[in-house]
Amino acid sequence: MNDDYLWDKSGEPDPQIQQLEEILGTLRYQPKPLPLPRQRNYRPWLAIAATLVIALLATGLWLRIQNKDASIPSVAIAQQKAPIIGPALSVSSASPDTPRKPTPRTVKYDRKEAIAAKQQLMFALRLASEKLNAAHRRTQDKRSSYENTLPN
Amino acid sequence: MKTLCQTKLALPLIALVLIAASAVATSAQDSRLQLSSLDHLAAKASQTVDVNIDEKLIRIALKVFSDQDPEEREVKKVVAGIKGIYVKTFEFESDGQYTAADMETIRTQLRGPGWTRLVNVRSKKEGSLEVYLLMNGETVGGLAVLGSDVRELVVVNIVGPVDLEKLVKLEGQFGIPELDLEPAKSKTKNEQ
Repeated sequence: MNDDYLWDKSGEPDPQIQQLEEILGTLRYQPKPLPLPRQRNYRPWLAIAATLVIALLATGLWLRIQNKDASIPSVAIAQQKAPIIGPALSVSSASPDTPRKPTPRTVKYDRKEAIAAKQQLMFALRLASEKLNAAHRRTQDKRSSYENTLPN
Repeated sequence: MKTLCQTKLALPLIALVLIAASAVATSAQDSRLQLSSLDHLAAKASQTVDVNIDEKLIRIALKVFSDQDPEEREVKKVVAGIKGIYVKTFEFESDGQYTAADMETIRTQLRGPGWTRLVNVRSKKEGSLEVYLLMNGETVGGLAVLGSDVRELVVVNIVGPVDLEKLVKLEGQFGIPELDLEPAKSKTKNEQ
């Protein structure tokens, strides 16, 4: 028997093989596009929401850092030569909102802290007041000297 | 591509820009000045005073103010509503230790929206003194004082509503020693 048909479909075909071919032919590879899952519609509101959340988080973080920096209390009086203001005051930061067990030691510490803060506050207000008065005084002086130059 | 830019990128970008703009606007209304640009002068100064009192510290300080004492009651009124007081003073042993650019870094901030220069006194003898106010409508939202002499530099920044009249009256009270920051003129006047 000639087996060429099996190799290259030449020669006389065997009816059994033809029958098999017909049966199996239905399972032959059929080229067709790959069915992909349907692409989701883009939702702009989702992107906006995500951006808002990220922006809010970033702003919150930034503000927190800013507040942290600002809440580091400090009065630094660096003196290389003659002291004018007095000893340097140092106050450590402790949030008044933080609940703490009021032991006599912490109460004493709180009071010390408050007194130091008061001194700093007084100094700053005093300086601001003095500068404002100086500005007022100097403008008054200029004004009176100008008025004196005016002819009667 | 155009559609992609319009839909996917434009809207979040607009949102981000709006948020950033509102954040900038909010911070622009804040009367706190950035004084860190002056920090380098501390190395040259013979004396430096750096006071940073934020709202928390003010609250802590107010705990020990007495309501019985009329003077301390007055300070409490002045301080009420203030969100922070920041002071930097530098005293130098020789002339020309700071430059106009140092002052300019502060003045630039005071050219922002809301700030008004109330007083500007300049003299070769006594140096210059500038008073700025941040106006929120008809109320004062902040104060800045810039004082400069050949050997001295003073910046005072009060954040929050300030009653100028009451603040001016505080000078010479509370037993706080004279700081001698206006030596020549005030002394001669007092002595006369």
